[in-house]
Amino acid sequence: MSYINVAETGQFVTLKINADGFDYSSNVDVAFDGAGSANVVTVPALTEITLNATPGLFRWKQLDALSEYVVTTASTNSLAATVVLDETSFFTGANSTLGIFATTNNKTPTYFRMYWQGTTSSDKYVQGVGYLAGLAPVVTPDSPVWTSPLTIEVSGAFTEGTVA
Amino acid sequence: MTIRDTLLANVTTSLVGSNISVSTELPWNSGNVPLFTKNMKVCYIDEQSEDVSTVIETMTVDDNVYQTETTLTAYISVDAKNQPGGMTEVISNVLNSRNSVSNVFIRECNMETELTEDRITYTFLYRFLSIT
Repeated sequence: MSYINVAETGQFVTLKINADGFDYSSNVDVAFDGAGSANVVTVPALTEITLNATPGLFRWKQLDALSEYVVTTASTNSLAATVVLDETSFFTGANSTLGIFATTNNKTPTYFRMYWQGTTSSDKYVQGVGYLAGLAPVVTPDSPVWTSPLTIEVSGAFTEGTVA
Repeated sequence: MTIRDTLLANVTTSLVGSNISVSTELPWNSGNVPLFTKNMKVCYIDEQSEDVSTVIETMTVDDNVYQTETTLTAYISVDAKNQPGGMTEVISNVLNSRNSVSNVFIRECNMETELTEDRITYTFLYRFLSIT
């Protein structure tokens, strides 16, 4: 067994987004590795990240059985993170991808890719498209650095991939 | 400019005209006796100590948010039987000198007193926190 250790240099979890307005639905890879690569924003300073891939459930009971039956229905997928806000990624963005704040406000479809353990050859990732949501920046006198939750509400399925 | 330099400058200015002078020297020991004990009515500010710790840990260690805690101690020793006049104002000014330090989000100063023989020593403990 090999654990997915993300605590070493080169093995950090990385989240990248591309919200440049193009439709990459036929090939999401192009948003990150191809023509869209200049518009990719790496979301820095993640303090935690949670991938939710939860199938819906339909349960029923029958008079001839002592236990419930269940079938799965369409999944609800999302990616939830907490980030320390960085001026460039939050307000500026990269080329055609605006900052996280503007992308959220504009409700721009956002392609995302989350690398599980580093971004080099043979490293695994999941990707998809969704919308940025859940921003709730907070700062206090005792913790004077802005942090915020950030959720990507995924439209459709996650797809797996491997860095070439 | 270090925090000690800032405090030293502010305390020096604020104590002009009082019965207490300010030394730029550290309160080193002369013959096992601290200078502030030997030289009464002189304010000494010790060297600052710094402690850097993580306040927000991120997935990539380079993005971690750190805070620096800087602590300093200042001393004034005077005759306990015949205190110089204006000590209340002196103490207030030394306590308020913490406000001269900028780019910090916590500025604190506590004062303690200790009586030894015929001397009273005022010890001021400064604490500053900044994000780095």
